[in-house]
Amino acid sequence: MAIIRLYMTMSLDGYVAGPRDGVDEPMGVDGFRLFNWLDRRDDPGPSGQVYAEVLATRAVIAGRRTYEHAGRWQGDHHDGVPVFVLTHDVPDDAPPGSIRYVTDVRECARQAREAAGDDDVMVHGAGAAQALLRAGELDELELHVVPVLLGQGRRLFDHLPARHVELDLVRRLVTSEPDDLVQHVVHLRYRVRRS
Amino acid sequence: MGNVVLYMSMSVDGFITGPDDGPDHGLGVGGERLHDWLSAGGVDPRSHRPLDDANAAIFDEAMATGAVITGRRTFDNAGQWAGDHHDGVPIFVLTRSAPDEPPPGSARYVTDVGDCVAQATAAAGDRDVLLHGAATAQACLRAGLLDEMELQVVPVLLGQGRRLFEDMPPDHVELQLVRVLDGPGVQHLRYRVRKAG
Repeated sequence: MAIIRLYMTMSLDGYVAGPRDGVDEPMGVDGFRLFNWLDRRDDPGPSGQVYAEVLATRAVIAGRRTYEHAGRWQGDHHDGVPVFVLTHDVPDDAPPGSIRYVTDVRECARQAREAAGDDDVMVHGAGAAQALLRAGELDELELHVVPVLLGQGRRLFDHLPARHVELDLVRRLVTSEPDDLVQHVVHLRYRVRRS
Repeated sequence: MGNVVLYMSMSVDGFITGPDDGPDHGLGVGGERLHDWLSAGGVDPRSHRPLDDANAAIFDEAMATGAVITGRRTFDNAGQWAGDHHDGVPIFVLTRSAPDEPPPGSARYVTDVGDCVAQATAAAGDRDVLLHGAATAQACLRAGLLDEMELQVVPVLLGQGRRLFEDMPPDHVELQLVRVLDGPGVQHLRYRVRKAG
């Protein structure tokens, strides 16, 4: 069965966007600093490997905020794979391209797994990640930890209950030291242990 | 001169204690989980030395430091380490107001972060200074006085508790990744703070 895996780029202090993120500034103030490592996404090393894995996923789950901030990906996140947008309120207008709206988190997970078949499902966005975690539907986390403290912004992990979620490290990749230190990320992959 | 190095065990979601930390509950509710990578020892800090090589290496580096800087909350919540963190090295406790009664053992109170770091580095000589505690780490970061961070990233989401990084200004602090070590049940990430200019 398909694995539902979160892929997120996070500063060492836990932020996935800078302050005041919005449609006009999707990564918040100076938040695009987090994406410098993607300059190496076509390299043969770990960052290229991880990026290729992202593109090999066969379904996407995203939260409504991420989806809107990303300009709805113009209806196509990658390769036209189905994108399941988790939202409280389904908009009146039909979604573009391969997008569909889902209001129930378990139903969202079920549909995405089915669509991905034997391949994996990519999750994107803090809200969707937290909702899936709370529902026990998140299988793995792949975190790209960037060597910077943003200080403020939107956190990946917030508003979770005070209940421990045990993880097991399944892979740890580090880019060889780049000329540009801002690209020196650690890719940590964890499996969520079922209690 | 040695470096000022922050040593902290942190969950993947950025917490260094569980909720409701206090003198009776130094690591908060359930926060002991963060110290599972250490051996279950006794009162003597050295009795917590892990058996695994990587974990023991980090532990030994911390124990080889020549002075300790900590915040008042961490100091009090840790029972003031009975006045001795390790080997009787001086402990500099950063606090807004020093209590009337003197601290035990090799501890002393300091009210200014610059003084605190200057005194600790002088006392440590060629050795590093061990920094412990979130508020003091933030104070040293803001003052540009933190050199390195050795974080023990523990594979758990605590959900709630006290965060290591909180209430910081929105100015980016660029870091240099200098080492990654894997121990059983913990990843050790070491970063150097890149100073402007």
